[in-house]
Amino acid sequence: MRSDDEVSMLVTPALLLAGCERTLNALLARDPAAPARLEALAGSRLLIRLEQPHLQLLLHFHRGGIDLLRAEALDEAGADAVVELTPEALSEWISGTSVERLMFEGKLSVRGRTHLLESTRELLTDLDIDWESELARWLGATPAHSLAEGLRRAARWGLRAKDELMADVSEYVFEEARLLPGRQQREVLRDHLTDLEVATDRLEARLKRLHRRLTQQNSEAQEKSVTDSSGETPT
Amino acid sequence: MSPTEKRTTHFGYEEVSVDEKASRVADVFHSVAARYDVMNDLMSMGIHRLWKRLTIERSGVRPGHHVLDIAGGTGDLTLKFSRMVGPRGKVVLADINASMLHVGRDKLMDNGVGGNVEYVQANAECLPFPDNSFDCITIAFGLRNVTDKDAALRSMARVLKPGGRLLVLEFSKPDNPLLTKAYDEYSFRLLPKIGQFVAGDEESYRYLAESIRMHPDQETLKGMMETAGLDRVEYTNLTGGIVALHRGIKL
Repeated sequence: MRSDDEVSMLVTPALLLAGCERTLNALLARDPAAPARLEALAGSRLLIRLEQPHLQLLLHFHRGGIDLLRAEALDEAGADAVVELTPEALSEWISGTSVERLMFEGKLSVRGRTHLLESTRELLTDLDIDWESELARWLGATPAHSLAEGLRRAARWGLRAKDELMADVSEYVFEEARLLPGRQQREVLRDHLTDLEVATDRLEARLKRLHRRLTQQNSEAQEKSVTDSSGETPT
Repeated sequence: MSPTEKRTTHFGYEEVSVDEKASRVADVFHSVAARYDVMNDLMSMGIHRLWKRLTIERSGVRPGHHVLDIAGGTGDLTLKFSRMVGPRGKVVLADINASMLHVGRDKLMDNGVGGNVEYVQANAECLPFPDNSFDCITIAFGLRNVTDKDAALRSMARVLKPGGRLLVLEFSKPDNPLLTKAYDEYSFRLLPKIGQFVAGDEESYRYLAESIRMHPDQETLKGMMETAGLDRVEYTNLTGGIVALHRGIKL
């Protein structure tokens, strides 16, 4: 019999996985490109072995989406491709680094039909969700289109307003209120400072030379007075 | 003991004759078939989906496998299995109750499941299949209603291929006394009321609660499976033992 800890560990990941599966399939259902990609993948099984946390996940593709199953008992023979990867490799893979590159770098080990991996990434990362048709299902085509148009217009206006605001603020800060120096002013100031630095260096050197000369002259004068006074003494 | 006394069995907390149990159970399910899924969601607060999910994960079913879903009712497990076995595999949805089988078939067809699913009205005690014909057999919330559980388990072991798995998902005994108390309150007081309100049938849901209490506990069922000829029998308590998933392998 399994302990209670194990049982609670059983139910929570199952719940998470069920949630992921639902969300993923709902998203896939709204992507116009997904049915063709899923059709090509249907029936394939991809086993993903994560090192940390230790997890074996089986992705089973079918026409309606993906089944996510934890695969503790499943041996590799049941899967078309097996991937073993570290969390870093997973994040790199999802963010778009090619499978070949990860394999060459030794971060990813793939056995079986490797192109399955590339198709999976394509399916999941190239999701282009058609929100408008989803809205149309709820509201009807015409209102959905005007709403989507309105949203798009609002988004465009938002972007433009953001750019204009940035320009206005920078103009005010640099030019009108002169709260901060502009790039040009800063460069002029830097040139002046460099000149000043060079001049002070020069002055310092000159002072040192003068000082040296002065001490030299003093010592010569002293020597002379000593010889003079000794010459005046009667023998 | 006279022969008539010997041939009685329990129907919930009632004692009924062996011949009568099957028809009384059938009556229960005829009356709940239409609202079965809604009631399952309501009664278990949706957790039954997780229990079934775990059953599928443990089944190890692959493309090309032959799966038998006994007492499959409205076809929750069959739906997933049919996708997993693919066009080369086969899933048989078996139920003793024609009403449940009709509901299940309609639901599966609405979900686009066709080609690889067969529907068979069969009694689990004497399955109408040749020996060694399935890679996996599941019975989810069905064994409780079978009159002769030992005969049913023997019959399942017979039709299972060597190396095949039998998964029994069934209500069991919670191991925590506090949970047991809360569970008893829920199932004897609240459950029949929900049944009355949603499915308009209080008696069927009272039977459900009683039949759960009469069902063998985890260890007893494990022993029964071993006696029926299954090996490596293990069980997992789900939701504090309210439900247990038993798995045995035919070697």
